[in-house]
This record gives sequence, structure tokens and C-alpha cells, in this order.
Amino acid sequence: MRHNRLLAAGLAAGLALIAGCSAASPDGAKDGSTTLTYLTFETPSLTASFWDTTIASAQKTVPGLTVRKLVAPTTDRDAYAKQLQASGQFPDLLQSITPSTFVKAGLLKPYDQGWIDANFLLPKGNAYKGSVYIPPTNSQIIPMVFYNKTLFAKAGITQPPKTWSEFTAACAKLKAAGITPIELGGGDPFAASMPLTGILSADVLGKNANWLQDRYAGKVKFSDANVQTAVAKYRSLAKNGYFEEGALGVKYADSITNFTSGKAAMYMMGSWFLGSVPKDHADDFGAFMTPTDDGSLVVPFAVGGSMAISAKTAAPDKATAFAQAWSLDPASHKALIEGDGAFPMLKGKTLADYNVTVTKVFEESYAYVQKDNTKVSAFGWATNDDSMPSGLNDEYYAACQALYNSDDIAGQMAKLDAAWDKATK
Amino acid sequence: MTPDTGAGPIEARRRLVVSSTFTKGSAMITRARRHRGETALGALAVLAIGLYALFIIIPVIMSAWKSLTDENPLLAHANFVGLDNYTDMIHDERLTASLTFTLVMAGAVTIVANVAGIGFAMLLNKTSLSFRTMRTVAFLPQVLSGVIVGFVWRYILAHDGILNELLIAARIIDRPITWLGSPGMAMFSVGLVCAWVLTGFTTVVHLAALQSVPVDMYQAAMVDGAGRWQRFRRITLPMVAPGTTISVTISLITMLKLYDIIAALTSGGPANATQSTALYIVKLAFTDDQFGYASAVAMLLLVLSAVIALSVTGLLRRREVDL
Amino acid sequence: MSTTTSKPRRTATPTAPVRGRNRRAVIAKGHLAAAALLTLAFVSPVYLTIVNAFKTQDQIIRNPSAPPVPPTTQNLSDALARTDKIIQIGLTNSAFTVIVSLLLVLPLGAAFSFWLTLRSARFRRIALAGFAAGLMIPPAVVLLPTIRILTFLHLDHTYAGLILANVGGGYLSFAVFVYSGFLRTVPREIVEAAAMDGAGMLRIWWTIVMPLLRPATATVAIFLSLWIWNDFMNPQFILGPLHGQTITTGLYLSLGQYTTNYAQLFGVMFLAAIIPVAGYLAMQKQFIAGLTSGATK
Repeated sequence: MRHNRLLAAGLAAGLALIAGCSAASPDGAKDGSTTLTYLTFETPSLTASFWDTTIASAQKTVPGLTVRKLVAPTTDRDAYAKQLQASGQFPDLLQSITPSTFVKAGLLKPYDQGWIDANFLLPKGNAYKGSVYIPPTNSQIIPMVFYNKTLFAKAGITQPPKTWSEFTAACAKLKAAGITPIELGGGDPFAASMPLTGILSADVLGKNANWLQDRYAGKVKFSDANVQTAVAKYRSLAKNGYFEEGALGVKYADSITNFTSGKAAMYMMGSWFLGSVPKDHADDFGAFMTPTDDGSLVVPFAVGGSMAISAKTAAPDKATAFAQAWSLDPASHKALIEGDGAFPMLKGKTLADYNVTVTKVFEESYAYVQKDNTKVSAFGWATNDDSMPSGLNDEYYAACQALYNSDDIAGQMAKLDAAWDKATK
Repeated sequence: MTPDTGAGPIEARRRLVVSSTFTKGSAMITRARRHRGETALGALAVLAIGLYALFIIIPVIMSAWKSLTDENPLLAHANFVGLDNYTDMIHDERLTASLTFTLVMAGAVTIVANVAGIGFAMLLNKTSLSFRTMRTVAFLPQVLSGVIVGFVWRYILAHDGILNELLIAARIIDRPITWLGSPGMAMFSVGLVCAWVLTGFTTVVHLAALQSVPVDMYQAAMVDGAGRWQRFRRITLPMVAPGTTISVTISLITMLKLYDIIAALTSGGPANATQSTALYIVKLAFTDDQFGYASAVAMLLLVLSAVIALSVTGLLRRREVDL
Repeated sequence: MSTTTSKPRRTATPTAPVRGRNRRAVIAKGHLAAAALLTLAFVSPVYLTIVNAFKTQDQIIRNPSAPPVPPTTQNLSDALARTDKIIQIGLTNSAFTVIVSLLLVLPLGAAFSFWLTLRSARFRRIALAGFAAGLMIPPAVVLLPTIRILTFLHLDHTYAGLILANVGGGYLSFAVFVYSGFLRTVPREIVEAAAMDGAGMLRIWWTIVMPLLRPATATVAIFLSLWIWNDFMNPQFILGPLHGQTITTGLYLSLGQYTTNYAQLFGVMFLAAIIPVAGYLAMQKQFIAGLTSGATK
């Protein structure tokens, strides 16, 4: 019987081991201290140390709080947040997610509107159904067209293009001069979508700022003629070989280095690229908005920049205190402005107040935000009522990748309409 | 794509394939004779059955049930929608594309990996130390996790990557190929990488089979004047057939559940061209909030896998006899 | 290549003329060279991973396929010095998961397989057919319900949950099939004799059958270690990040961020791959034996 007991002991030990490790979970309060989880994501400019530093700085202001950073494995933090929710580990704080999906499920807690109104320039800039779930700490233009002045000069282009025909003429000139006109990091779906996002924002949202809400209402469709005409512009760029060769095989991080090292003349990307402009020859770079047919200016705009708070968090007060501290922390603002090209949106502050060193192209770009001009919700990026339904961004990115090689604009738009209808059914 | 739960060593596969060969005679002790201590042993057995039921059988039943609902992971309530999810599949172009991709990959990669495996095995079929070392090394792709395989190949296949560099230096091509940059080439590249991983496996299996072929069979055939092709056709192929059956079955099952290599290599892109059905199920469930529909697609994949694996195995078993 | 289809062991023909022998020697050399070249090409991705782990970013960009001269261990120490300790934590967690899963799967699989031999042939057939499904079902099919079941048991996103899902899933099927196959070779007299002596079945299983099953246990342990170690989907979705990553999910997370820093990328991959590769090389005989035991009739 000795062996039986040995066996029983062995099995019991095994079970105890796994029971033990489940009991040793670190969440839950111990001696008055709280641990909250914070979902972040990393990009070439928002590095691990950026998050560690800013978390540590905001954490100091909330006694007894420890914040644990969770990092989304890709830049798609919405998908990762849902995955975590499904396996019972929805984070307490979630950086730069799209609130709409989560709000519908009652997973997010809105911020106190008084605090929002008191601190931010555009307090309703990213409100969803009237409530603010992510403090509008900064804003972005998505996308801008960045260009390399030296390469433009080499191709004999003296002025950045204002109209679409000037733009395509510039592309042709660059190509003729043996310069790749546009860099595209098409290996990452979101980066692949930037040119079309620019064109749709300019041509479709520029004409009808409510287009996305009209799409929800079923009044407009992707298959409408005006959308297809806009998409055809993107298709013609690809067809004419204006993008970097093999663009769909280029990862986002590589596309940044390709453009900054002068391998292509233009780069359509969110304003966060400003953080990656090389400091030693920053004056080589300029920026303009995606040109429209008549040369009118349309600025695709999105406000946000901070974190949402889970409605299910065990310590809502501490979570809110941390989130508010992070959102107003001068240290995180400085890092975001310098590293991620964020345009600050705090009330009563000028750029000088943040004690930052910025490039000329940053100042020029920031001017678009400050000036009174036609601002529309950046297509697919705005997190307010103009955000797309769950899963639609992925479909939209896939359509952009498909149209890089395929002429079937009508087919791709029909697919998007079908996916939209299914997602909102 | 190290074959995880499914693609097992041969012995397990054989049992799977020939489980019906368990004969009554092989029972050690008949049911009629109960023994002391059987209850304790039975308790362990019941625990095993219980765990298996909990993590395989019940999940499959749950999937079948959820496939009849419109469950959304974010919402508390789900409605019964009958067969709506199944009829929706007919119009789902993404599903059609992903199923086509998965099935074509499974077929093509299985054929390529097994043909390459037989060829490679015949080349390595010697017993000296150098050949044994090569055999050891040839299995290495199977030891690496799919995530590593995916990332290494992403590096190799980059537009300015080492493969293009080599091919240009060797004057085979004069412009870099965009291995991962167009839907067609990306599918080809995924196939290439999977074939690479699986060839490590098919080679070792066929080598083992080859080494059991009696030498005098070839000698006798040579005396009879059989040519090289005839010896291959009449002796080698029939003799390695049991190995081929196993190797083909495992290749198919591995390809039908393909996930991690693609997650690291292409994430399903570009334009969803390399989205395997496993990847699509996960995306439906976690990105698109469509648990119900994801479950229906999962059921379809389950049935397809079972039908394909069982019919191909049966076919090959019968061919073993004919060869 | 002319000998590729011929027999594996060449028997010397006594009357072979010297010229023929020379020709055969040349052919043999050619064969060796061809095999070696093909093998090298075949494993070149593995070679790249190893050499580039010991090169600086500059060296890698200049010549990715060159050997690491002079070698640097900077990439490895950088990988180990990460503030999130993803390598150290990942290796520990993976080892823990593998060991506990094995400690449960091995006895359960063996006991169940032995118990099956005591049942009727009909029952055994049905049971084995049921367990066969576990080998065939794509993990993506059972992933969502598994998470739901673990949530119901309050074991979601815990190691206990991950390990139980490992133990009850396809890995158990695998163990059962290997053990059942092996048990067919165990003479029934041994068990019956012990039963006559009055030994209980549990005891017979543990003291007599388990030692006989050692080769099967080795096969199951070796392959399950590899698969659980390399598993990606279960740790990614069932475990998640809250209690630290396993090495595979940690790798996936860290490599996503390093697309241009190749030195760092290869350093991390090398550290993640070294344990399974070293384990395989150390035990390659058992590996191949386990893999191929059924490939021949």
C-alpha cells in the first residue's frame, strides 16, 4: 500500500500546486494597497520606458496605488481589450481604446464632465453619446502628408501641392526623377490604410461631415458613387506605381526609417510621425493636408490621448485619480509632444508652458489645429460618435490592402457595406 | 506549427487510424472478473474521462449550441436564432476566402511536404555518422515554436531581406520579389514556410520507414532487371506506405488548425489573403464580437477536419494494400 | 544522386572490379556532398537565428549570413536586462506549466489506458474513438467554450485553468493513444499473476504496469513537453497577461515591437528557442524513436 500512498501524495501535490498558483494571484487588496491594471501599447515612439516613466510619475500622486502595465501585443488594443474581457481580465484602465463598443456593454465609466470642462480646450471633442470616456488631452491629425524638401527640390517641385491634380503631377515628377513618390508601410494594416483615409476624409467627409453618422442611419453607403470616385484616386496612385515598391510587405516601423532616411519623398501618416522626424535634419521635412480637387483645406482630426476607466474596477476612486493625474501630468505631456507628436489640448497653456523642444514642422502642423478651418473626424480614428462599428476598421484596412493590387473598387465597397450591416444588425 | 495536440508521433496516430484493430483477444482481463483495487483505479480513469469531457466534449457541445445563437461576448443576453448563422455563411465572402485558403494550403502543403520528405529521406538514407547527424538536424524546424518560425521567416522574406539578396546575387532574379507584399505571393510564402516545417517531420518518418526495407528486395529486383524508377515504384513506395499514411494524416491535421505561424508571419494579411479559418474564428469572436457566428464557423471547421482526416486516412490505408 | 533509390546498406560484391569501386567511391562522395548541401540549405533559417543572435545590428545588416566574428553577447544580455523580465518570467512560467501538466497527464493517461484494458473490447473501441477526436479537433474550435467553462469554475486566466485545459484537452488524447498502443505489448499473464497473488489493481498498475510502460512514458513526456512549451493559442487566450507571459506569448509580445532592431529580435528568439533545441539534441535518439515507432510495420 506504500505505493498507493505515494501516488496519492503525488497527485495531491500536483493538485495543490495548481490550486496554490491560482490562489497566489496578485490582484485584490493587501494591507490597504491597491493594484490596478493598465492596458497600454508600444510603438517606435511610445516605448516601454515612456510608459514606465509616466506611470511611475502619476502613480506617486495616488497613495497606496500600484499600477501594473499590460502591453497589447499589436497596436490593435481594442481587440486585445476584448480578448482580455472574454477571459475575465478586463483591465481597470485602458489607453486609447475606441469607447463605443465597450460603452454599449456597460464596461466603461464616464469622466466627471465638470473636471473635463475645467481642463480641456475641446471638452466634447471625443464624447460618445454625450459622455466623455477618454479625456481629450491632446489631438492628432490623421493623416498628414509629410514630405522631404530635399527630394522635392531634386525633382523640381517648388511648392507643396494644394490640389489633387498638383499632387498627382508631383508624384509623376518624382517618379520620373527616379525618386519613390510615397512611402507606405503596407505590411501593417492600419498603416496601409493611411492614403485612403486621407482621401476619404478630404473628399467624402470634407463634403459631408456627418457621413459616418449618415452611414449608421443607412442614408449613405460605401458603394455610393462619390465614395467610389474617392477610392479610385487611391487606386490610381497604386496603379501608377507611386508607392514604394513591395509596399504591402513593408512593416510600419520600417516605413518610418525608410522615409526619414530619404528613401521616399512623401509619407502619409498620423501626426504622431512628427515625433520620429530626425532632430539633426528636421528642417528637411514639411507637411500638408491631403489635397482636394478644388484645393480647399480639410483637416482630419481626432481628439483623445488618455485612458478609459473600467466600470468594473474594484477601486474606481483610485483609478479615476490615477487617470486624471496621468492626463494632466506635465511629464507625460512633454513626452507625448516630443516623442509622439501630440498636439496638447489643455486649457490655458501654450506650447512654451510644456518646456518642450519641437521641430519647425511640428509648429507648422500644430497651427492647423489652432486655426479655424474645416475639421472633420479622422476616418476610422475618431473615437466619438463618428467611430466605426466593431470590427469594421479591420475590414476597412483589408479593403485598402486589397485595392493596392485589385481594380475591383465596387466589389470591395460592397463588402464593406455588407460588413457594416452585419456589425450593426 | 510544431504539431501540437493533434500531430502526434506515429504510434498515437496509428492507434487513431487503426483503433478498430483492437481485438477482443487482446483484453487482458475480461469484464466478468472484478479485481480488488479496481475502484481506486477506476476513480483515476473517471477523473481522466471527466477532464476530457470538460475540455473537449462539453466545449464541442457548447459550440454547437452557441452556433444557434447571436451571442456577443460583451452583452449579457443572447437570442436563439436557429440556423441563421449557418445560412449567413453562404454569403460570407471572408469565410469563403478563408476556407479556400485553408483547404488549398492543406492540400498543397501536404503534397509538397510529403514528396519533399520522401526525396529528402532517400537522400539521407545511410547509416554513417554524417547522415545520422543530417537526420537529426533535418528535424529541427519541428522543434521551434510556430511564433519563432514565423518571425524568422518574416525576416528572411522581407522585401530587402536575405532571400531576395541571395537570389539577386545569384542572378536568378533582377528585382526583389515581394514575398509577403501581395495576396498571391503571401499565400505562396505561407505555404513555403509550412512546407519547410512539415518537411522536417515527413523526412524523419519516411527515413524510418525506408530503413526497414530489406536490402535483398532491391537486389532481387536488380537481378530481375528492374530500373531505378521501377524499383522506386514497386518496392520503395509500397514499403514506406504506412509511414506515408501517418505523415500525410498529420500534415493535413496540422494545416487545418494552422494558427501560430500565420499570426507571427502575416497576421492573416495582406487583405486577409492568408487568414486561415482558425485565425478567422478567433477574429470573429474577439474582434468582431460575434461569438455565435464564430461558433458556427468553428463547427464547420470541425466537421471539415473530421471528414477530410478520416476519408484521406481511409483512402491511404486501402492504397497501402493495393501498392 | 544515382544511389538515392538503392538499398540503404551496400553489401560489397566480391567480384567488383577496382574501377567500379572507385566509381562508387566518387558517387558516394557526391551523394554525401549533395545531402550535406541540401541539409544546410534546409536548416539555414535555424543557422541565421543562431549566428545573428551573436552579432551587432551593424554586422547583421552588413551581412546577415556571415558567422559572428567577433561574437557579441550584448543581444543576450540586453534581452535579459529588459525591465519587464520577459525572458526570465517566460522561461519560469513555461517550465512550471510544462512540469505540472506532465505530472497530471502522465499518471492520468496511463491509469486510464490500463483501466481500459480491463474493460470489454467494445467499450474500449468506443472510448478510444472518443479520445481520437481530441487529436483531430482544431484548438480554435474549443477555445471560446473552454474560456467560458474556466470562467464558470473561477479558474479563468490562471495557471490552474491553463494546466487543466492542457490536461483535459488533446494532450490527454495523445497520452492515451501512446499508452494504449504500448499496453498491447504487455503480456496479460504478468497482470493476471499479480492479481492471483491478491494485489489490488491500483497497486498492480503503479508497481508493475508503470515500470513496463517506461518507454511510452518517455515518448509522451518528451513530446508533450515540446508541445506545451511551444503552445501559443492557449497561453495567449486562456492565460492572458495578468500572471505573466509564457515564453511563447512573451516572445510574440516582445517581437512585435522590434521589427527594425534585428539584434534584439534575434537575441530574444535565441533565448526562447535554446531550451527546446538543446533538449531535442540531448534526447534526439528517444525523440526519433518515439516519432517513428509506428512508421514501419
